[in-house]
Amino acid sequence: MRSKQQIIPYLLLTPALVLLLVFNLLPTIATLVESTFVMSLRSGERVFAGFANFERIFKDPIFWKSLQVTVVFSLVVNPLQIALSLGLSILINQRLPGIGIFRSIYLLPVAVSLNVTAIVWRLLLDKNTGMVNGILYQLGIERQPFLHSTEQALWSIILIASWIGVPLWSLFILAGLQNIPPPVLEAAKIDGANAWQSFTKVTLPLLRRVLAFVLVADTVANFLLFAPIILTTQGGPQLSTNLILYETYRRGFLYGDLGASAAMLSVMLLIVFVIVGVELYVLRGSD
Amino acid sequence: MSAHVTSRTRRNRKPLRAYLLPALVYSLLIIGVLIVVIPLMWALAASFTPNHKVFEYAYPFSWRALLPVDFTLEAYDNLFARGFGRAVGNTFFLAFVTVFVGGSVNALAGFAFGRFEFRGKNALFMAIVMLTFLVPVDLTAIPRYILINNFGWINTWQGLLIPGLANSLVIFLFRQFFAEIPQELIDAARVDGASWLRVLVSIVLPISKPVLVAAGLLMFISQWNSYFWPLLVAPRQELRVVQVEISLAVGQYGTVWNELLAGSMIAAIVPILLVMPFQRYYVQAITGTGLE
Amino acid sequence: MKRKRIGIIAALLLLVALPSLAQDVTTITWLSLDWPVDDVIAEFEAQNPDINVEAEQVGFNDLFAQIQVRLGARSSVPDVISVDVPLVSAYAFRNWLLPLDPVFTGDEVEDWLPAAVNAGSYEGTLYAAPVSTSTQLLFYNSGCFDRAGLMPPGPDDRLTWEEIADIAQQMTFDDDGDGTPDVWGFIWEQMVRIYQLQVLPESLGAAAIGEDGLTVDGVINSQGWIDAFTYYYNMFNVWNAAPQGEEFWPADIFETGNICMFVGGPWNIPRFANNADLEIEWGVSRHPYFADGVPATPTGSWHIGVNANTENRDAATRFVHWLSTGEGAEMWWRDGSGDFPAQQSVLALFATEPEFDELPMSYVRTAADEATVNPRPRAVTVGFLEYEQILQNIFQDIRNGADVEESLNLAVQRIESEMAKYR
Repeated sequence: MRSKQQIIPYLLLTPALVLLLVFNLLPTIATLVESTFVMSLRSGERVFAGFANFERIFKDPIFWKSLQVTVVFSLVVNPLQIALSLGLSILINQRLPGIGIFRSIYLLPVAVSLNVTAIVWRLLLDKNTGMVNGILYQLGIERQPFLHSTEQALWSIILIASWIGVPLWSLFILAGLQNIPPPVLEAAKIDGANAWQSFTKVTLPLLRRVLAFVLVADTVANFLLFAPIILTTQGGPQLSTNLILYETYRRGFLYGDLGASAAMLSVMLLIVFVIVGVELYVLRGSD
Repeated sequence: MSAHVTSRTRRNRKPLRAYLLPALVYSLLIIGVLIVVIPLMWALAASFTPNHKVFEYAYPFSWRALLPVDFTLEAYDNLFARGFGRAVGNTFFLAFVTVFVGGSVNALAGFAFGRFEFRGKNALFMAIVMLTFLVPVDLTAIPRYILINNFGWINTWQGLLIPGLANSLVIFLFRQFFAEIPQELIDAARVDGASWLRVLVSIVLPISKPVLVAAGLLMFISQWNSYFWPLLVAPRQELRVVQVEISLAVGQYGTVWNELLAGSMIAAIVPILLVMPFQRYYVQAITGTGLE
Repeated sequence: MKRKRIGIIAALLLLVALPSLAQDVTTITWLSLDWPVDDVIAEFEAQNPDINVEAEQVGFNDLFAQIQVRLGARSSVPDVISVDVPLVSAYAFRNWLLPLDPVFTGDEVEDWLPAAVNAGSYEGTLYAAPVSTSTQLLFYNSGCFDRAGLMPPGPDDRLTWEEIADIAQQMTFDDDGDGTPDVWGFIWEQMVRIYQLQVLPESLGAAAIGEDGLTVDGVINSQGWIDAFTYYYNMFNVWNAAPQGEEFWPADIFETGNICMFVGGPWNIPRFANNADLEIEWGVSRHPYFADGVPATPTGSWHIGVNANTENRDAATRFVHWLSTGEGAEMWWRDGSGDFPAQQSVLALFATEPEFDELPMSYVRTAADEATVNPRPRAVTVGFLEYEQILQNIFQDIRNGADVEESLNLAVQRIESEMAKYR
């Protein structure tokens, strides 16, 4: 009986884990291993080189600049998106007439691909023909360069990422909010808690698991963001939006420098792993 | 019913505050709606506009930028003449299979991680699920491409479909939600002699509808919007997916903006049509539990 | 009844025969841009029933990563690849392309434009066969010249960049007074690409890359480059005669009368000539140059090569041979990309085809001549993709207001760092 029980979880896991192993883990390991090889561009021959690729990227000012951009980006975009998602999910969880329509509208960006979003916003933010500047002009505000200025480009990328990110993550938080049994909130109200108290003392703790999921998934998604950069700024102007994953993509997929690309990816994964580990530790359950 | 009664008595006591809060909620919601809707309205209007007039009313901004005042179906005609319909069919097939086959695979794994104690659980979870979750699939595409090439799966459905079935994000999501289910519910069924599969199908899944919807949505949309992998593994015309077909509007000597936007609008409408019915179900689920 | 039975027998026979037929047909895949390839492929297959060509088409921006990943993985497909010519050395250096010298006769090689043969070769060996070439002309809206009270140039006039700057400022109009011009004076068609802009420093006598094909320090930050890109900077930032912002295709707004002049490719000639709704009057003249410098006109071309790891070497080389010479080349020019042919025998058709006798299609003859007078191909370097992409970012920055010297020095730093791997 007991041994039969023991086998069940493994059976349940097998299909998913085999697929992940073959199509995700193996390619990942192969990529990480690549970081310790130098390939002769000429013959395609690979020679073990230890940490030579790492030494090379650590001496590269562009790598450090990209890392810096990525840190600034992450420190802004993650708290911003989570705060806005939480706010939005609370708003669309209100029992008010017509709320269903709002909920539907807020689902729209989730259905639009990141590529399409990036292209549409790139056009909207253009200096001469973009609609955002068109609206600013109507309001008597000077034209802004947005994606073409070193001061505004990263913020514009944050805007683009959040246009999808906020509705997406609030979808998950909303599902969590709806899992809170109403009697629990009623009880808090009867105990005399005001809205803020019942939010911090009752709602937030009950959302812990969902928020942990959203925080981790959002952190990872934003660390790994690079497709919109390909379609908008290509890391510019003057490397101000050169997120490290974009630099990794550029080195590997365009310039064919697989060693340096793999080394950057390894460093990045290490950083993400540590951050996610810390996040999970801080948010760990008492149970 | 009781909720209505209490709110009515409250309103009588504090009429101003009772109106102020909804007013605040609505105004915040409307600001958000404008941010969401205006870009989409512009893109939709532009997709029905002749290519040279796409930017005509955007700067200085006029309301005409949001309405297809120079209405034409030119972009859509060109798109479908080029074989966009087949790309839509291809992508729909891929997304459908991913949701049902991939969804089952991921739900089983999520159930195992969320409800069982077994040897190596944490190690397996960290080493396989978390690690693959943290690695961007596009950036490990080169070894995966070599693997698929060795399988002889270039330009095949298998190559497009199978690498995307298992999804660590979805496994993670299922695990988180399954772990929240009260143990008593499961114990009761187990005492009645139900098998684990039966517990999963008749107890766990019915009360997990929101997460099933969210996970299904996530898988559908990620497959529907996939671009980089299909472009590499199946660039043949017969296997093209929607996002790849759209990208062809960016040519060497010019971008056909209205076609790019028309393709994007079609690409967006399919998930939207799927999302809407589930959204209604969401509301029912809440009001159903909320009013008891 | 009888007919039906015959039909069934015929179908059965076909089923039996198909596999054996299929065995004799070799299928090759051809990775290219989204060109209209169907007719050309159909004709080739009709002439070569033992070969089946499958087209794999990707967008311009995706072609380079496609080739990098697939050929870098030593994949046997695609068999045939369309190559943007400056990348021939990069791909040949990596041994991704099959040497093609044995495929072509001496006469066939001599028929190609010499610049195209050079560009398709690496260290003296031909790796990619020329299919098309290109040149650049100045396109102008005659109405703008009338409005500014100026005389438009003739097709064989060559304005200086100084004259262009002067005219462009007089032909920039802000009609609705909102502070943004509605009609702009000038723009470069590929406004941030090295293809288009390399001739600016070259007209001033500066080189595009060091003699070793790798060094850029002291080259792209030399005085010639600084002067040339200060001109470029001024056009957008000081004279405000050209629009900043996103990249776009000037032909679109040239047709609506919102841009007065642009330097662009001959592909625009049939476009404007065949546009029945076009309301503007337009003309062309030769590519501009700096008054103190020499005429220099961009050229570049598309070539076609064979994957070194193909399993269908014979079929693939036969297709490449057919498309880049004789009848196939002529058909590609007529029905395919619409670009200029790289074969002198096909180019000669411009002089004889009556289609080009009258204005405005006769401008094609102007372009054909311009293609042969001062062609400046792009730099030959194994690191061309890095060189091109980094400079593209830098030009976009300068266009949108970044300091010229600072930007060029940043380009030096970035390109030198990428080139290190080739040394």
